Amino acid sequence: MQAVDGVDLELQPGEIHALVGENGAGKSTLAAIAYGAVRSDDGSVEAVGVVGLVHQHFKLIERLRVWENVLLNREPRRGWAIDVDAARERVRALSASYGLAVDPDALVETLPVGIKQRVELLRELDREPSVLLLDEPTASLAPTEIASFFTTVGDLAKRGTAIMVVTHKLAEVIAYSQRVTVMRAGRVVASHLTSETSADEIAREMVGGEVPALAARASVATAPLLEVRGLSARSGTSVLDDATFEVRAGEIVGVAGIEGNGQTALSDALAGVAAFTGELVFAGTLLRASDTPASRLARGIRVIPQDRRHEALVLDWNVRDNVALGRQRTLGLAKYAGAAREVIERFDVRPPNPDAIVAALSGGNQQKIVVGRTLASSPKLVVAYQPTRGIDIGAAALVQSRLIEARNAGAGVLLISFELDEIFATADRVLVIANGKFVGSFDRAGIDRGRIGALMAGNA
Amino acid sequence: MNATLAAVMAILGLTLIKATPLIYAALGGVLSERAGVVNIGLEGILIAGAFTSVVVSGATGNPILGALAGVLAGMLLAAILAYVTTRLAVDQIVAGTGLNIAALAGAAFGLVLVYHQPGASHEVPALGRTGETVLVVLAFVAAGVLHLVLTRTPWGLHVRACGEDPSAADSAGIDALKTRFWAVVIGGAIASLGGVYLSLAELDLYSDGMTAGRGFIALAAVIFGRWTPLGATGAALFFGFFAALQFSLQRAGVPSELLQALPYLAALVALAGFAGRVRAPAADGVPYVRS
Amino acid sequence: MTAAFLRTRAFRDIVVVLVLVFGVGSIAMLLAHVSPIVGFGALFDGAWGTKGEIAETLVQTTNLLFPALGIAIAFRAGLFNIGAEGQLVMGGFAAGWLGAQFPLPGYLAVPMVLAAGTLAGGVWGAIPGIMRARFKANEVIATLMLNVVAILLTTYLVTGPLQQGGANGSETGPLPKAAQLTHLFDTQLTWAFVLALVLAFVLRWVLQRTIFGYELRAAGDAPEAAKRAGIDLGRTALIAMSLSGAIAGLGGATIVAGALHRFNTGLSPGYGFIAIAVALVGNLDPLWIVVASVAFGMLQSGGIAMQAEAGVPKEVVSLIIGLVIIALAGRRVVASLRST
Repeated sequence: MQAVDGVDLELQPGEIHALVGENGAGKSTLAAIAYGAVRSDDGSVEAVGVVGLVHQHFKLIERLRVWENVLLNREPRRGWAIDVDAARERVRALSASYGLAVDPDALVETLPVGIKQRVELLRELDREPSVLLLDEPTASLAPTEIASFFTTVGDLAKRGTAIMVVTHKLAEVIAYSQRVTVMRAGRVVASHLTSETSADEIAREMVGGEVPALAARASVATAPLLEVRGLSARSGTSVLDDATFEVRAGEIVGVAGIEGNGQTALSDALAGVAAFTGELVFAGTLLRASDTPASRLARGIRVIPQDRRHEALVLDWNVRDNVALGRQRTLGLAKYAGAAREVIERFDVRPPNPDAIVAALSGGNQQKIVVGRTLASSPKLVVAYQPTRGIDIGAAALVQSRLIEARNAGAGVLLISFELDEIFATADRVLVIANGKFVGSFDRAGIDRGRIGALMAGNA
Repeated sequence: MNATLAAVMAILGLTLIKATPLIYAALGGVLSERAGVVNIGLEGILIAGAFTSVVVSGATGNPILGALAGVLAGMLLAAILAYVTTRLAVDQIVAGTGLNIAALAGAAFGLVLVYHQPGASHEVPALGRTGETVLVVLAFVAAGVLHLVLTRTPWGLHVRACGEDPSAADSAGIDALKTRFWAVVIGGAIASLGGVYLSLAELDLYSDGMTAGRGFIALAAVIFGRWTPLGATGAALFFGFFAALQFSLQRAGVPSELLQALPYLAALVALAGFAGRVRAPAADGVPYVRS
Repeated sequence: MTAAFLRTRAFRDIVVVLVLVFGVGSIAMLLAHVSPIVGFGALFDGAWGTKGEIAETLVQTTNLLFPALGIAIAFRAGLFNIGAEGQLVMGGFAAGWLGAQFPLPGYLAVPMVLAAGTLAGGVWGAIPGIMRARFKANEVIATLMLNVVAILLTTYLVTGPLQQGGANGSETGPLPKAAQLTHLFDTQLTWAFVLALVLAFVLRWVLQRTIFGYELRAAGDAPEAAKRAGIDLGRTALIAMSLSGAIAGLGGATIVAGALHRFNTGLSPGYGFIAIAVALVGNLDPLWIVVASVAFGMLQSGGIAMQAEAGVPKEVVSLIIGLVIIALAGRRVVASLRST
């Protein structure tokens, strides 16, 4: 497969250049080629000086210290040993110079996501890059952090670094870049001075037409379904603290928040894979921390996990067996094939072959299988955790429409998402989560973007 | 009173003797696992060290040369494991198991070739009391040195980076596969000294099965030592103590098989009690394939 | 079709195995001053030359097939059972000791002996299973330890508290005639061979065509997804390890009831380890494991003949098998196995 095809792109020192495109458009591949991590079959990349790359998924080593990460393979030495004092000093000086405060001796695994990103940035800055590539740099930052992040980046640009930001957040493109290049299906389809274009134009260019519409929201009578009182839970490093909320049958409740603020603990507690304290009453019965995931499934609670590749699918298996997963007993072996055909048809899975191995499918089609099998089991409550992560706009619209249809049919949906636009487009009510706590609640009519952004950043 | 004291001293002395090969093997295991390669083949490396050192000492009449040859053999075996687990990215546990089988059979085959008899070699010039003392002391020195190397040197940091996240290490310009390879090979060199100790210091011959599962005990010692050289040394001393106890109790008439099983049972109990509370290096045992 | 097969992993593995067998084998024979033609001639002749030798090959096949099937079950569930050797020894011990201790009449004796072996192997497999399920203890180390403990424990028992009359050294007393397996075709081959074949077909069916098999494979191939699909990983680990041990233990019992007619602590020349190679060569598929076990059974029986006829130490066979395991450790089997 060709991820990138015949792309010409020029970065200027002192300029922030945005590279936008849908998932799978080839922008990350292009960044990797520019960095030298992926070899191109044809063509060349020329850069004056060092190219630095800040990854979307941090390339930090969790159980090493900050200075060990920043200076890995560039350690200052004294004789045979590492000069630890000099290393600390170098990281401190670098921090001070760019206004990125961080403790050089902290273990990376103990740091919040925003600080981790600083470490990632410091590591690249230590190499004094003349070109800096930032791959979805704000994916895990709060709106206020985003502004200060771009201040730092703008500063860098002023010092003469050429900067390319790979992103799908058009608001940031408009606000912070000087030039924008749009990619679709591996090719450059448009290039503008940011001042001469608009977010709408860029969006149309990304999709190659109009953005698909979502299913209509029927007006349905809601009924009590899930009541949560004082829920505290922990899953890995994710912590949820004293959450109280309600999800009614026939509504979509959006949980807005930045990654790493307790969403995983919330999702895992509902799935029955994380221990919790507090009261969970579902359809009149009390859920216990000792419940198995199987008992949650039996009650009609279905979770679409965040990490489809590890938490939802058996990648080496075919579509048929994956569609059955979660219903393997209730369905009975004889019905696996029929169930698979239903999901394939209803969700337009490609290729439409129950025997296809799931690992070979695109992310969008994999996600259709996960969402499809979840909704096919006539769930009472659907917990959808980042259900459109990393999939193209067409597939995302399909997934969101099917969630709305499930709500129209009377299911309760808890949509946990890091994408505010997704929540605003689908949710009946919005809850805001920050630092593991629920800090705000909005009805669809009373949604206040600015206020929600501030709450997400932890500013009450 | 004096008799009790003497008995205690005897057990402590014996603990050192019994722990030494375990320390070497465990240190080799620590280095390898900190780089991300689980070395199930420690037992085979002990065998290679024990067997080769005896053959070369017998052939040259020089036990020092024998010891060096034993270390070389251990490194060679480790290099095989290192190659298949890094360059071919095969499963480390299965490959290590194969290595153990091949080493055991290879030594048994070698006995027939060299000594024209199965089971055991002839007696050969050994390292003697001095050599034994040197090897015991060297085990502790090696633990200290490995501790410093892992915590203080650039290479040690690179090894740890590869054991935690080889892809991140790679993107920092560290050749993760090469680093893993050499960590396993050097670990093999250290571990093989345990084999040399068994055949040329504690005894003066090689016999089939003389390593008696010490490589497996050493694997447990690596875990109980929380993947640190000093911790693993402590764990090896603990298991060495059980082995020494076995010797003393045996003289008191307790059946020997039960006592021989003691260190293994202790390891099993400790394994159950310890597991879940210690964390292996994040990428330990996970083959790294560059994408 | 043919060209496509030549490029498959399976074909490459077969080539690697053949190169190892003939390459390493030839070098070893030359070292022992034996012409490889003579050496391999003795090996093949010793494995297939006469009716008795064919039977012996199939006996070795049987002895490898049981533990290999057990190992395959555990590996498919994502568990590294390196402890088939110990499970086989415990099975053999229980079969031998109970069979000699409680002589039952005809129809009951053989079933009791085999059931005892199955149960004992299952218990020995369940120990690391429980340790894994309850304490998340690494089953690799646990099974390695239990192999050593099995030998020491049975040696202690048969020479100590459970010593029986007619025993000489580390063995139990003799099995009564009723507890011995019937021979086939007037050779050393017994019904155990047929039992192992049937078991292979049954296991294949269980893995591919039952919900239990589906859940077991899910737990092995994607533990996180399996857990969220309501599959109890701890329970699956316990069942898979017990079943795995039980099958190896049954193998031990058939060795005792079919060939030795008493338990002896040396009953296995490492079947439990060689079976790892058999399971891997058979790609963890019970039916291919049958084929692989015939190949390795041939090496085992032929190796003994090779030592006797051509003077090549039979350890060469184990050496080759060890190298085969190393070479095949890259098979897909174990891709997702690390989850401790």
